[in-house]
Amino acid sequence: MRRVSLFGIDFLLLGASLVLMVIGVFFIYSSGVTSTGVVYSREYVRQIVWAGTGLILLVGVMIFNYARLKGFSLYLYGFMIVLLLVTLLFGREVNGAKSWLGSAGFGVQPSEFAKIATILFLGTYLIGIGRGVMELPRFLLGFAIVCLPMGLILLQPDMGTALVYIPIFLVMSFMAGARMRHVLFILAFGLLTILLSLLPAFEKMILGRELSILALVTDFDVLKYFLASLVLVILLAAWGNFRFKRGYFYWILYISVLLLVSNLGALAAARILKSYQIMRLIVFLNPRVDPQGTGWNIIQSMTAVGSGGFWGKGFLQGTQSHYRFLPQQSTDFIFSILAEEWGFAGGVLIFSLFLIILVRGLRIAYTVRDDYALYVGAGIIGMFFFHVVVNIGMSMGVMPITGIPLFFLSYGGSSLWTALIAVGLLLNINMRRYRY
Amino acid sequence: MAQISLAPAGRQLRSIKIRAIGLGVFITGILLVLVSHLFVLQVIKGLEYKSRARAVARRELPIPAQRGEIFDRHYDIPLVVNQDSFAVDLIPGEVPANERPLLFEKLSGVLGLPVKEIEEKVPPKFQHLYQPVEIKSGVDFETITYLAEHLEEFQGISWHNKPVRNYLGTGSLAHVIGFVGDISREEIQILYNRGYSFGIVLGKSGIEKQYDQILRGKDGIRYRIVDVREKYLMQKSEEDIPPEPGKNLVLTIDRDIQQLAEKALGERIGSVVVLKPATGEVLALVSYPTYDPNIFFTDQTAEKFNALTLDPSFPFINRAIQSAYPPASTFKIVMSAALVEEEVFPITKIVVCTGKFEYGDRTFYCWLPKTGHGPVDLFSGLAQSCDVYFWTLGDALGVERITYYARDFGLGRISGIDLPGETAGFVPSPEWKEKKYHIKWLGGDTINLSIGQGYLTVSPLQLANLVAMVVNEGKIYRPHLLKEVRDPVTGEVTEAVEPEVIHTSPIRKDTFEIVKRAMRGVITEGTAKVVITTEAVEIAGKTGTSEVGLEEQWHSWFVAYAPYRTAEPEERVVVAVIVEAENKWEWWAPKAANVIFQGIFAGQSYEEAVETMRPWWYIQQQRELRAQREQREPDDRSGG
Repeated sequence: MRRVSLFGIDFLLLGASLVLMVIGVFFIYSSGVTSTGVVYSREYVRQIVWAGTGLILLVGVMIFNYARLKGFSLYLYGFMIVLLLVTLLFGREVNGAKSWLGSAGFGVQPSEFAKIATILFLGTYLIGIGRGVMELPRFLLGFAIVCLPMGLILLQPDMGTALVYIPIFLVMSFMAGARMRHVLFILAFGLLTILLSLLPAFEKMILGRELSILALVTDFDVLKYFLASLVLVILLAAWGNFRFKRGYFYWILYISVLLLVSNLGALAAARILKSYQIMRLIVFLNPRVDPQGTGWNIIQSMTAVGSGGFWGKGFLQGTQSHYRFLPQQSTDFIFSILAEEWGFAGGVLIFSLFLIILVRGLRIAYTVRDDYALYVGAGIIGMFFFHVVVNIGMSMGVMPITGIPLFFLSYGGSSLWTALIAVGLLLNINMRRYRY
Repeated sequence: MAQISLAPAGRQLRSIKIRAIGLGVFITGILLVLVSHLFVLQVIKGLEYKSRARAVARRELPIPAQRGEIFDRHYDIPLVVNQDSFAVDLIPGEVPANERPLLFEKLSGVLGLPVKEIEEKVPPKFQHLYQPVEIKSGVDFETITYLAEHLEEFQGISWHNKPVRNYLGTGSLAHVIGFVGDISREEIQILYNRGYSFGIVLGKSGIEKQYDQILRGKDGIRYRIVDVREKYLMQKSEEDIPPEPGKNLVLTIDRDIQQLAEKALGERIGSVVVLKPATGEVLALVSYPTYDPNIFFTDQTAEKFNALTLDPSFPFINRAIQSAYPPASTFKIVMSAALVEEEVFPITKIVVCTGKFEYGDRTFYCWLPKTGHGPVDLFSGLAQSCDVYFWTLGDALGVERITYYARDFGLGRISGIDLPGETAGFVPSPEWKEKKYHIKWLGGDTINLSIGQGYLTVSPLQLANLVAMVVNEGKIYRPHLLKEVRDPVTGEVTEAVEPEVIHTSPIRKDTFEIVKRAMRGVITEGTAKVVITTEAVEIAGKTGTSEVGLEEQWHSWFVAYAPYRTAEPEERVVVAVIVEAENKWEWWAPKAANVIFQGIFAGQSYEEAVETMRPWWYIQQQRELRAQREQREPDDRSGG
């Protein structure tokens, strides 16, 4: 650890964050300018204000020892759960989801901050159980910690934000030494659930006909027998596993439980998710299903990105964006306007800056000889990584539209503050790596 | 707390390291996959997306090409012009909802359009539409000037040039020139591949239809950039494709002769064809009744159009080329040629006409049944139009040879004149009759055919062509109306129509000499002697009176050419006139032709020609007019 750094601050990490934030302000400005040069949106000014206040928050987070958070992480977590409940009851509906708390001028999205609280509390839990994470019940209890806020956010319903909790949990438990089979189970559970909830719409919209084999999981009359037989198989396999301790019993059990819970998850999702959310996922598979409606965003975004070329059309010169073909330019599709105006070169710059943040974050977490720091850092990395991949992938048409922001760049105070708090935590950890 | 961190098991530390590296590799790998996808999207497929981005924001607006004008052969005053006219548009998105009623009221006042109609064209659901909606077309320049001067009061209003076709005193030329109209759904199905699209105006009949491709020119394209609300953002004029104006057409029509023929026919259902046999140029083509093509550009288009289509005299039919009638005695020209050519008997052979002709168990009566024509040969037979002579001839020729000669003279097929909808007429044959009626062709049918009655039908144009073949001694030129195509700007001739021989008959030249002499005889000592009074030129021709089953009413034919003798065959003119049997019987066809020939060769108008010749029908007319006037005058006096 002979790195030269003033006050132990990781300037590379901080610098990358600041550059991203500045670029973000520039493109929020660009998204609010018409093709004739009229500035019709003051979003960039508010973003600057949030950036300023966010930096104060960052410094605030850096000042005290992160280790002390262990003590209050439970209260923080509890407070956020209550806040999410309040949001669910009294929240303001924006774009079909009750995710806002507060008035029109000044509102917050508790679901953003809840991520940090959950990371902190899960970290506390993980160091508490130590190597116990390898045991299934304790592993699952950890999963329950993320499931609680995730479920509340799903009820808003805001699927994109809810899904972030899964990679947070996966990365944290992975770094805590959980068994790979358990980690993979959660991963497979997440993917299968999404897949199964899409199947009915997929059959209708893209296939255009019904496949009899799929009736097994889409037709409830058939599905209930399938699930019942799964339960039977699970009981038999559990008994076999307990009685004979043979490996194959374990794997039969593993797969059966996986199928059962994903089917149940899909059934729950079908209840909770609104049809437009299902459509968003469907148009991701084929935007031409609804080119004027839900598919519009994907088509316009891909056109904006693709037409940028290598060097882009120049700042404020984008056509897809300034002729307003591109929707939600300042929030969900901030990367599209950037890729249109700065081209592939700009895209690579953004990727590089995020890669710096992720790799520096991972390095900080790993080099600090403190498990709590490791877990919290891992959770933050998981969160950042998921946001980058899903948001940018969405702009390029390789990820479904889930409406999650791109940290640092997207317009929005809650997400920017969350990002800066997270960076503050990483810097805090880095500053205190010798203090043992 | 510190102890936990300070004393990690060595194995666990290694495991953390491995996992951290694994996580780093995974993150980097995924990001690389995304970057490579970005590379594919932006660099490899970049051009495709660039053109897609252009296409999504670019709109192509047609710039209408100016339609060509139409002139007569003098190429001085156009018969059809494009009159400057404008259409007023409104962009609904630029009008705030609360200002709509006031604006509509003001517009209603300026455009003379009820507010209700404006509201129908711009319903409130168009509130966010940024595409111009046409409110009214056919707006004059003064109104546009007013709008332009008060533009600040008329938010969202714009206009575009939408010239209308103005047919200037075309009179009887309506059938020749035709008219234009909006393209119909049926037309677009046929014409789509030739570059026609919805919303365009095209020729619907006559020359306007025939030469639509030349007249219409090529529309230009104006590119506009629009935003997602279809609002125009800017104009990139350098990219615009300017329209190519349509070419001007010069017709073979001579408007003086056209007017002459039109007046000579007068208000009688029928038609006149005047053409130059040496080239096939049509000098006049009159069909009565006619219509005013300008009705298609007025406010009451639909009513007037309906009234015309319901008119029992069918004003839309161009009778000169679209109606076929039995040729009656004019067919005797063909019979005469057949006789001379086939030599079934010598032309000097005398046939004694007693007024009737016994054939089998039937008796046919000559048109002079009481006295008969007495002894006649070919010349006196044609001059007197003696039916008995031609029945004898027809019997000797037989139906096969008669129909052969009928076809040789161009009957039974279209001439190929450059107007749409020409009829081919009909030449019957024994096979046709048997197939159609299941009755054998009888000798009586041949007898009828010999004098141009029965199933045989010809159009006036075909009859003119028939005479043209006699004049040209075996050649028929394609009758045509287009003389040349001229550039609208420079006036340069870009295409001139050359005479085209469409038929060359194997008949010997001497035969035509004899036929011509016989036709001259019709005028000098035959049936037409009393009515053809012009001294301006020597005429040769043939009258015809065909029975249509009406008492005391017949189709009146006259077909002739002049001058009979000339050193310059170029100056010869063929005139064919038919006055239908629906009219009061006046034996008008030769009378009309008389005036037409006088007018053409003396260079006179109708009034001058009539005044010069003072034919007895004219004197009678004048007398009647005077009588009427005198009758009225005392009344006037008593009334005063």
